[in-house]
Amino acid sequence: MSQSHNSVEPNVIDDEMIQKAIEEQYPEDIGQLAKKEGTDFKDVTELQLSFRNILQIDNLWQFENLTKLQLDNNIIEKIEALECLVHLVWLDLSFNNIEVIEGLDTLVKLQDLSLYNNRISKIEHMDTLQELQIFSIGKNNLTTLEDVIYLRRFKNLRTLNLTGNPLCDDERYMLFVVAYLPNLMYLDFKLVSDSTREAAVLEYQDRTDLLEGEEAQVLAELEEKQAKQQELEYHKTAFVEYLNGSFLFDNMYEDDTEAAKLASLPGVSDLLQKYREEFVSVCENLFNFGLKEYEKREAEVSEFCECRNEALTANQQESRKLILDFENRNKMTLDEIHNAGSSDIAESKRAEYKADIHQLSEALMTLEILIADQMEELANDFKGNMAVVASTFIENIKGIMNQCRDLENRHHEKLLEICITTLEKSVKNELEEDLPDEVRMLLVDKNTIVNAANVSHGVRLRKIDMRESDIFTNTYRWQASVTEKAFQNEVDRNREHVKEILQYIDSLQEELHNMETLEPME
Amino acid sequence: MEVLEEREEEEHEEEQEEEEQKDKELKPLEISDKPEDLKTKESVERVCVPSDVPDFDWSSIDTSQLPSSYKTNSPSEEKLLHVAAHFLQQYTHKFVSTTVRPTLLPYTELYHWDGCASFVSDYLIMEPLKSPITPPSSLYSPTTILKYQRGNCFDFSVLLCSMLIGAGYDAYCVHGYATREICTLDETLEVCPLLRKTQEVPKEEIKKSNKYRIKSPPDLQSKFELQQKAKKAKKAETEAAQKDKERGEEMKVEKPKGDPLHGLRVHAWVLVLSGKREVPETFFINPFTGNSHSTTDEQFLGIESIWNHRNYWVNMQDCWNGCKDLVFDLSDNIRWEVMLSGSDKPHQLLPDAEEKNELPDNDMDDVPEPEDENRNLDMPPSWVDPIQISPREFETRCCQGTKVTLYKKAKLEKWAPYLNANGLVKRLTVYADAECSEVVEVKEWFTNREDMLDLREVNKRTQLTTDYFSPGHRFHLKAHTYVWLEPETENTMEFYNEARVDGLQKRVQSAMEMTEYFVGRDDFLHVRYTEFGKRGKKVHLAGMRADANARPIVQIKECFHRNPEKPADEDVAERIFLITEEMIHLTYHLKDNYLTASQKDFFKIPEGEIRGREDVMTPDMCITYQAGFSKEEKLVHLYKMLQELIEVEKQLKEQVRRSEAEVLNILKTRENEENSVKLLVSIYDTERNEKRRQEYEAMKKSREDDLLGQEGQDLDYLAPFLLQTGNTEKITKAQALRLRNDCLADLKRRLVNKANIIQARFDKAVEELQKKDEWFQENQDKLSEEEEEEFLARYSETTFLIHILSLRLRREKETAPQKYLALEEKLRKDPRFAEHLGHA
Repeated sequence: MSQSHNSVEPNVIDDEMIQKAIEEQYPEDIGQLAKKEGTDFKDVTELQLSFRNILQIDNLWQFENLTKLQLDNNIIEKIEALECLVHLVWLDLSFNNIEVIEGLDTLVKLQDLSLYNNRISKIEHMDTLQELQIFSIGKNNLTTLEDVIYLRRFKNLRTLNLTGNPLCDDERYMLFVVAYLPNLMYLDFKLVSDSTREAAVLEYQDRTDLLEGEEAQVLAELEEKQAKQQELEYHKTAFVEYLNGSFLFDNMYEDDTEAAKLASLPGVSDLLQKYREEFVSVCENLFNFGLKEYEKREAEVSEFCECRNEALTANQQESRKLILDFENRNKMTLDEIHNAGSSDIAESKRAEYKADIHQLSEALMTLEILIADQMEELANDFKGNMAVVASTFIENIKGIMNQCRDLENRHHEKLLEICITTLEKSVKNELEEDLPDEVRMLLVDKNTIVNAANVSHGVRLRKIDMRESDIFTNTYRWQASVTEKAFQNEVDRNREHVKEILQYIDSLQEELHNMETLEPME
Repeated sequence: MEVLEEREEEEHEEEQEEEEQKDKELKPLEISDKPEDLKTKESVERVCVPSDVPDFDWSSIDTSQLPSSYKTNSPSEEKLLHVAAHFLQQYTHKFVSTTVRPTLLPYTELYHWDGCASFVSDYLIMEPLKSPITPPSSLYSPTTILKYQRGNCFDFSVLLCSMLIGAGYDAYCVHGYATREICTLDETLEVCPLLRKTQEVPKEEIKKSNKYRIKSPPDLQSKFELQQKAKKAKKAETEAAQKDKERGEEMKVEKPKGDPLHGLRVHAWVLVLSGKREVPETFFINPFTGNSHSTTDEQFLGIESIWNHRNYWVNMQDCWNGCKDLVFDLSDNIRWEVMLSGSDKPHQLLPDAEEKNELPDNDMDDVPEPEDENRNLDMPPSWVDPIQISPREFETRCCQGTKVTLYKKAKLEKWAPYLNANGLVKRLTVYADAECSEVVEVKEWFTNREDMLDLREVNKRTQLTTDYFSPGHRFHLKAHTYVWLEPETENTMEFYNEARVDGLQKRVQSAMEMTEYFVGRDDFLHVRYTEFGKRGKKVHLAGMRADANARPIVQIKECFHRNPEKPADEDVAERIFLITEEMIHLTYHLKDNYLTASQKDFFKIPEGEIRGREDVMTPDMCITYQAGFSKEEKLVHLYKMLQELIEVEKQLKEQVRRSEAEVLNILKTRENEENSVKLLVSIYDTERNEKRRQEYEAMKKSREDDLLGQEGQDLDYLAPFLLQTGNTEKITKAQALRLRNDCLADLKRRLVNKANIIQARFDKAVEELQKKDEWFQENQDKLSEEEEEEFLARYSETTFLIHILSLRLRREKETAPQKYLALEEKLRKDPRFAEHLGHA
């Protein structure tokens, strides 16, 4: 292999080579045309660069829409510079000098991959190629049979070629591969027979079963995780993430050393328990309210969209009717102008046609102005409603958050009471429980303990405030974006429509004009 | 209050019995307390029997075949009559209720009331009552009615009622009064049920009130003009109303003329009460037509009495307002005077016992009721034999298999299946006028046609014929509309598109056009339209193909549905191949919210010029309009597209030719099918499926032959011996004699052997038995009960064996000489020995 190339200079893919390759691909008639016109690399879907003594892949980033690339029979040593070819379905890298599988991560649409006759010693770095159906890695340097298990992740893999690898000498080879890849139809250019399959199952069933169990477990875990993530996303869109449970409460007591100390005072743990329950239930209310409000908001938005679409469809149909009428009316006009006996008749008809075009343009524009006005009004309505929806939501959230604060205040008062009574007891040495030293430190005088309680109270109130303001910001942001989008959509639509109408009218006039310029010639 | 008198089929005996009956047989029919009766008496004579009903001679009925229960009364029946006499001094020698014989027939259609009703109305020929205002003096049994296939309204009702009760309905025969149309089976004022249009209930879309609403554009119309317009419209409306009114008056003329006997005409029909068999509402069935009527139907004018197989109720309610106000609660003793209160009581009191009560307890009739007869008397079981209808009769339906019904401006004819050679079973002729002179439309229904033709509609005004087919036609035809079965004339063919590979659903053709509609194609094609030109004068070129005479194709247009996988402005919505103009026109689908669709016009280079040109593609060969932004397209791309389209065009032309050929083929096939109609016969129908039966019989016969052959075909007893001699061609006399002797000796030896074997077995069995016996004698005392039993079982087994063996031995001894003689005889007759032994 390398001998034949020794005489030739190794190449890097460059524009010249690509250009040549493209030209060679065309049949003769189109080839000329293409040469004259030049080819846009974006339009090329297939490219063959075989037998070109290529050492390094490069300059392929322009071929965004390439689906088939042949780089076989070169002296490539490293797979690189293929990242941009995301639409690639077929990649042939056979008969090269590649040592490591790499650089294929972005080619997620790849179905057919050939790495035949290279120097690869390990199957790896292919996790993203989930579409893979045909994989050829014969005549390489694969030694460990267990590597084949890696291929299990390709659920669509039907054809596999492993011939000519050292691992094929293993006597278990055939049955092992068939057992671990049960979906395989063809192995090493041969149909996998049912008898082989049965034998393989018999031989390896216990081991594959084990593997399957593990895989299923991993899959289940992944799915669970995804489901959780999805639910969280949903909660986030409703602005009430992490409110269904004790998350906020726990958060309030996080890193609060004072509170932890105070908790060990007699009677505080009961108090805390009760407080926690009440707080969590209020949070739960908040959470449910949030979800409900979210549905309401969605309904509001979809109602708006529905109305908008209805109006637009009606308007579109009306305009469409105008255009169709016009087209039917004037189907024959151009021919008539063309074939008019005298130039006078042609002239008058042309004028008539011109007037008709003008009229159509006017009518279409009027309709567009009308719908634009209607849309703007609708968007304004929507904006108003959104503002109302957002403010009521915030008002309600405020109410519920105040409940939280009340709970906290009440809890604080009770805590203070306990602190003071404990202090008094401690002073009188009537304390029955044995308290940790830290806590005893607090029980020095009234100020110390009240301060400690106040600090911890402040921390908790601040956490509640923070959560509340989070919700508010998210809500306002959402409101702004939704309203903004409604207006922006309308502006875009209007512009596009006007542009379309103008363009259409232009094309009609151009057609007529072309006729005029043609006329004198005949 | 009349009582229906069962005189039965006793016309013959009547003469002899008349004397004795006279005193017994009151004619309660005359004792009518209806006041109208008197003043309308004289009109009775005027009512004449419609002459088109063929007279049937009731005296021709042969009573001698009838079972004895038809002629005589059982003791309980006698008792019943006695009670009946007390009830209203109305007695007969058969009571009406006993003529009802509940029977469930083994046909699925007859399990529902509508099937029963239509069967009865079809099967029997209607005869008017002898006098339209009096009930008949006698009732015939349902079996007799079925046998002769004719009867009056009472006969119809009793038969239908028997079938309905048998099928589990709560049905009653009704004796009452109805309009003339009902009583005389005059349906000429009714719209044929087949023509009644089912009114489609428009689905009301529940429009959600959306709180967003677009403001409608300002109304710039003049209010005054609108007012003027409204005024005008109103005026036109009143005028139209006026006209309608006039027309309405005209229409009224069609209403039935006044009937002098209105309210007096006696009729019998069937009442089905709600409750059983999930009947939601009480209704009437008119047995003549088989139609159901609501109990408030104005055509039913009153009810005298009702009965079923178990009881008889007399209506005590006033019928001045027809049957509208009647309450059908039979347990209400004030409204319905019940005759056998005893049998009805459990019905009221113990609804649970109802089921039990319903059972036709045939065995009960001979058990005399010891208690007060009047109260606890049960209706005796019907004296009528179970109703039987053979499958053949059931299928034939109408008398002689045909029936004609006249409706308002329509005539309906029915035939039994297979009666007509072309499979015709029903024909509806619709007329333009009431006199039935101008035919508008003819509908014909067919069954069992091999070409699956189901229905043919001929519109006499437009001369359009439409054939409808059931699935299964060779070309998957569903419907075919045509004037003539000629190619290139206007016709429409509909297909079962699910069955066709190309998804063709409809093909409409005329002399110059052909439009094909498709459903469910992968390429989203839904319409293909082809326009043909006039055939030019033929210039015969050498080597032209056979289809050179085909119509030239002017243009082919194809329409596609939106393919959601492609972007709209790459998804072709319509492509038109203007073949004569060498042009291809493409229109793409609309993008969302766009008003104009992208378009492309390709101009082909005529074949001749293509070689001379340097460029295969120039920008002026394609005019593009791109909706939205326009991007410069590469000529290469356009050229490829053009090439593809040219290829498509070529294929399309062939496709059109194929379609034309298919049309020709279908038309030809249809013509052939129409010319020689073949009827399908189920392979299970042994009566009709002649071929099948022959096959079956042939098969049976051959199988029997096989069996016989096996028996008859004796083994060649000479074969082993012939083999020994070697030459089988010719046998000398010496050889023949030797063969014969050998053969006989062999048989003898075998017979002796056989006898010996049997003898040996017999001896052995006897010996064993003796041994056992001895052993038993010795050990008898020591044996447990089980062992003893076991021994006895084995002992009897052995004795049985011995018995059998001795029998066999005896038989063997008897038959052995016979067998020997038989073989000797056979050998003498054997053709191979004929010349040597035949005369010996």
